[in-house]
Amino acid sequence: MSRGLRDHLPTLLVAALAAAFGVALLQVTGILAAVIAADDVAGSSGTVAIMLNVTAFVFIAIAVYVAAVTTANTVATVVAGRTRLIALLRLIGSSARSQRAAIAREGLVVGALGAVAGALLGTGVAWGVARVGVAAGVIPEFDYGYLQPVLLVPMVAVVFTTWLAAWAGSRRVLAVRPAQALGNSAESSTEEVARRVGRTATGVTLIVLGVLALAGGVAVGLLYPMGVLIGVVGGILSFTGIVLIADRIMPPVLRAIGRLLGSSPSTRLAAENAVRHPERATRMTIGLVVGVTLVTMFAVTMETYRQAMTEVLSDQEMLEAAIGPVIDGTVAVFSGLVGFSAVIAAVGLVNTLSISVLQRTREIGLLRALGFDRTQVRTMILAEAAALTVAATLTGLVLGTVYGWLGAQSMLGSLTGEPRFVVPVVPWLVIAIVVVAAVAVTLAASVTPARRAVRISPVVALAVD
Amino acid sequence: MQNTPSDLGLIARAVGLGKRYGDGANQVVALDDVSIGLRRGEFTAIMGPSGSGKSTLMHLMAGLDTPTTGQVWLGDTDITDLSDSALTVLRRRRIGFVFQSFNLVPTLDVKGNVLLPFELDGRRPTLDEQVWIDELIDTLGLRPRLGHRPHELSGGQQQRVAIARALATRPDLVFADEPTGNLDSRTGREVLGLLAATSARSGQAIAMVTHDPIAASHADRILVLADGRIVRDLGRSTPEQISAYMLQMEAAA
Ligand SMILES: Nc1ncnc2c1ncn2[C@@H]1O[C@H](COP(=O)(O)OP(=O)(O)OP(=O)(O)O)[C@@H](O)[C@H]1O
Ligand SMILES: [Mg+2]
Repeated sequence: MSRGLRDHLPTLLVAALAAAFGVALLQVTGILAAVIAADDVAGSSGTVAIMLNVTAFVFIAIAVYVAAVTTANTVATVVAGRTRLIALLRLIGSSARSQRAAIAREGLVVGALGAVAGALLGTGVAWGVARVGVAAGVIPEFDYGYLQPVLLVPMVAVVFTTWLAAWAGSRRVLAVRPAQALGNSAESSTEEVARRVGRTATGVTLIVLGVLALAGGVAVGLLYPMGVLIGVVGGILSFTGIVLIADRIMPPVLRAIGRLLGSSPSTRLAAENAVRHPERATRMTIGLVVGVTLVTMFAVTMETYRQAMTEVLSDQEMLEAAIGPVIDGTVAVFSGLVGFSAVIAAVGLVNTLSISVLQRTREIGLLRALGFDRTQVRTMILAEAAALTVAATLTGLVLGTVYGWLGAQSMLGSLTGEPRFVVPVVPWLVIAIVVVAAVAVTLAASVTPARRAVRISPVVALAVD
Repeated sequence: MQNTPSDLGLIARAVGLGKRYGDGANQVVALDDVSIGLRRGEFTAIMGPSGSGKSTLMHLMAGLDTPTTGQVWLGDTDITDLSDSALTVLRRRRIGFVFQSFNLVPTLDVKGNVLLPFELDGRRPTLDEQVWIDELIDTLGLRPRLGHRPHELSGGQQQRVAIARALATRPDLVFADEPTGNLDSRTGREVLGLLAATSARSGQAIAMVTHDPIAASHADRILVLADGRIVRDLGRSTPEQISAYMLQMEAAA
């Protein structure tokens, strides 16, 4: 079972990261609430604490969601690699159901281990941050117990979603036919894109409703700033819809990006590799799309807000001094919090790419035998990683800019007292950071698999296993 | 200096070739002091019991692996100490391969797989080569399948695509390691017949590993390996002669 354990390391890492993030955030929130309560003059500390908690849970939900998608993907990739083994066991008489249940059980165990490890890590981080804060005099000495029942929420969520993700990701076990143990080499029909009509219909409905609400938000926003609330509902609906039908959006985007990579044999094969499992590619990229969209959206809205304020109010310098730090601080904190989900997604992407390159050993050996040199192999892997991250980043940047503008428009359309349209302002610094991060992810995602791939000897392709 | 291999009409030559795996008590001698020359345009069958070193010999002669002792020439090039990238270019331009299985790139269709060696070389087939490729595709019956991916083809069809690819660039030498090992015997013989006939027409040398006496009877020459050494070098033989010889060898072992 050592192989099984190694297969689950990425999942353990993802579960631990998600749990650590959730627990750390709640601990910090708790500490802040304790600090505020100790210093309560207005008697409003209860409300503040609730608001802090609600905000924390929104970010935790995003992180747990991204972690679950990532885990489902990792499990699906692992299962794809074990097809022959599973088929062999089926051939001997084991039932598909029991095999799937075994994988889900492994998910449950890994989720529990990850949750506990993450909780310890998260608490440690929160404690450290608080100690540093007190030492630096940023916050006063406070009274706070680190054993809070509410911490169980992210932990249980991580265990449950890891279990669920393992179950969902192992769906393909049911599709493995015993005959595949005997079948020969050529990769059997790639993971068919299941035509999940129901899901697509739901997604499209949500998008339509969301777009209507967004339009309504913009219209109402021309008269009242409250329009933004309608817009938020529209944003949530439409974005959920987009995530649901992502398997129809990401593959075409990946193909388009793949064509841009060039027409050398290595980049052409890389483009094909990036979409050879459309479902997997979608799940590999969706976490990054979510992260980049949210960061970009928030930054665009805030930047547009700053611009609008500058236009409306005359005393520029005083204004900059007043709202500048608030806006910068909010964007930074928010980006950091959402960015963590993007980190989880990136970890997933790195893992999935590594596993899939390992599974392609024979194919790479074949290419080497036929005359691919090492540089071409390395280029191929790098280009595949680039196709995935560029597609995710671009999609996120476009969606984020559109949502950000819609948000700003609904919020600020009535700012001057008469209806007007707001020109979106693109925060280049944030965009630059996102792009640099995407480049870093690409390099990180390709370095290990590329190193492994160039070491593959062509003799491997000839060996019959 | 001695005669160059090509002066002798040899397309590939091995001298004192040896390959050992592992060391100490676990050492396996896969190949032991083998010297052979493969002649231009000749179809050589390599036979011998399992583990006798057939695949190893082929890997070494094709520059896929490095020998422990001895030297290999392809044409007049001593490939023993060539760098990895020089070897890669050599394989790309001068050698064709047909493996037992997993011959094709799953993400490319039949046409893409056949043209892959040209692409790797960064060029398109010349007019003359295109005529040859079209002829290959028709001879091998692949015309209606050009747009299909490997997983949409039967095993025999996949092997025929591999043959088309191996012959497309008209390499000096084609190595085939049990190319029909995964096929039923009729399809296997059909594929082999095509391989032998096509290469005879274009003057390419073929070295093919096989266990099948009928397949070997297509060959101009039959090399028999046992325990990493060449124990017999036969001319063209009938399937009966070959089976009789192999049986006799098994009995002696
Ligand atoms: N990578 C390796 N490591 C250790 N030993 C090896 C390796 N490859 C081959 N051998 C050994 O070398 C010997 C010759 O192997 P080879 O694959 O050349 O045999 P073969 O004649 O092709 O057999 P078969 O007909 O079964 O394919 C065998 O004893 C084998 O176990
Ligand atoms: Mg062999």
